[in-house]
Amino acid sequence: MRYISRLVLPRLGLSLGTLLAVSLMIFWAVELLPGDTATRVLGREATPERVQDLREQLNLDRSAPERYGIWLAGFVQGDWGESLVSKRPVTDVVLPRLENTLLLAGLTLVIYVPLSLILGIGLALLRESRIAPFLSAVVVAGTALPEFVVGLLLLLVFAVWLPWFPPLALVDDAETLPQLLQTLTLPAVTLAVAITAYAVLMMQASLVSVLESDYVRMATLKGLSRRRVVLRHALPNALGPALRVTVLNIAFIIGGIVTVEVVFNFPGLGRLFIDSIRILDTPVIEAIALILAGIYVLLNLGADVATGALNPRLRAAAR
Amino acid sequence: MDLAPAGTPAGGEIGRGWTVSRAAGAVRWLRRQRLAFLIAAGILLLHVGVALTGPVWAPYPPDELLVGDPFKSPSREHLFGTDNFGRDVFSRVVYGERTVLSLSLTAAGLAVVAGSALGLLMAYVRGWLDEVVMRGVDVVLTIPPLILSLLILGGVGASYPVIIATVAFFFAARVATVIRAAALDVVSEDFVTAARLRGESAASIARRELLPNVTSSMLVEFSLRTGYSVLFIAGLSFLGFGSAPPTPDWGLMINEGRSYISSSPWLVLGPSLALASLVVALSLFTDGISDALGLSPFRRAKA
Repeated sequence: MRYISRLVLPRLGLSLGTLLAVSLMIFWAVELLPGDTATRVLGREATPERVQDLREQLNLDRSAPERYGIWLAGFVQGDWGESLVSKRPVTDVVLPRLENTLLLAGLTLVIYVPLSLILGIGLALLRESRIAPFLSAVVVAGTALPEFVVGLLLLLVFAVWLPWFPPLALVDDAETLPQLLQTLTLPAVTLAVAITAYAVLMMQASLVSVLESDYVRMATLKGLSRRRVVLRHALPNALGPALRVTVLNIAFIIGGIVTVEVVFNFPGLGRLFIDSIRILDTPVIEAIALILAGIYVLLNLGADVATGALNPRLRAAAR
Repeated sequence: MDLAPAGTPAGGEIGRGWTVSRAAGAVRWLRRQRLAFLIAAGILLLHVGVALTGPVWAPYPPDELLVGDPFKSPSREHLFGTDNFGRDVFSRVVYGERTVLSLSLTAAGLAVVAGSALGLLMAYVRGWLDEVVMRGVDVVLTIPPLILSLLILGGVGASYPVIIATVAFFFAARVATVIRAAALDVVSEDFVTAARLRGESAASIARRELLPNVTSSMLVEFSLRTGYSVLFIAGLSFLGFGSAPPTPDWGLMINEGRSYISSSPWLVLGPSLALASLVVALSLFTDGISDALGLSPFRRAKA
């Protein structure tokens, strides 16, 4: 309990503060969008009366702080406004896209977790072999490649040259589960490549230090099998840092997902965000930015709390 | 280069300083010739060389239309082929090097200068100021940079100063935490106390006693942030929030070329090769110098 009150509550407060700051920044950035919103929606030929009507409807005549309050209060209560372009409620526009994006993020994790475990353990065990520097160079390269380059290369090889996957991830048209998986695979693999490389580096580093510790040497000297030493004695202690990286990686997916969705024309939240900025559909922009930022902030909070909970020294420090 | 700056007692190895023994260690390490590092450094030199001299020897002007037929596959006249306007892709990649390097070096440089100043200030002053600024930094660290950058660039327009300022802002917060931690390691050392007792001003202590001891961290941060800036700015250009056509910019070229990827993949492959080789080389280079300077590798989740 002390852990919760000393470590979790302040972090939670900080996260809420961050969310407020982010919402302010979002509101401010949207204010900067060029042109008068009402004129933009109705077009240049609209009569002054109609523009005035819409201005009132959108509260455009009120001061900026007032509008910020109205917007935030509405958002918290689930009233996200109406899309300026399609005239549908923002929730109807955004939520199906959010579902697609979560599906993509989910499949990415399904690929990422076993892949990073296998590679991380493998690299740590091979640390003294001749190919080790070569392998870690490959992994470092994996962390450095931009995801749109990885995505386009995968697209070129596995959709154009080898027609195994569809070039466009039109997930809404998929009817059966195999079809769904087929459309999701390339974007999910693209995202997984980027984040796996980071996790592997972190896990390798922490595993190597654990493998060289006295208690692991003790376990080896007791005559335990290599496999048992690694899996039962070393791995659990190396997982803490890896878990933290994983949570931060999910947060990273939030940014990466925008680019990857554009590469594969995936109908998710990220592409909707880009499209909405282009057509200046402010209520949709605000909603998506706040959702993505909210997920990001919560995951960062989760990473901190999990790290604290897994680390006895931090737990003790909170007492 | 003056390797033992003023304020560092001769011979002693303090904190993370640029002391004589530290520099000797770095040289010894380089002699051991880590192959990956040397290759990376070579590729980086090549990139810098292209940025400096490219326009002199590039075969065609980057914007000239129909220097060949549109969509010609790579050949001796057009190493990376031609694009939909009949422009020479290789020449555009060569000219693009300047755009990419100047933007990201400026952004990373600004981030390191601003972040280091902030980090040193926090480490030296401590107390409530440190507390307040650190909370602010924490808030910036938990903001998704791409989402906010896209919003800002969509709002005020994607001009180079705005791009550089936005990227530098998000990265400065990350630099500040690193430099603050490095400076905290030395701030309680005797020579800092001595300087304080001598009655030196805070600014002079920060500059003469703390700064020399965080130089290697700053160097690594600069290298690391340059790589991230290249990635980030290329991503912005790819999404249409960076350089405007017809600027030769790799991210933009990749985006323009991707509609033709099935028939003319070289439109994407040329700039991708340039971009990938630059960021991978920068990343291996960062790894190498942080190893050589005796700093733990700075590997964190992508910004």
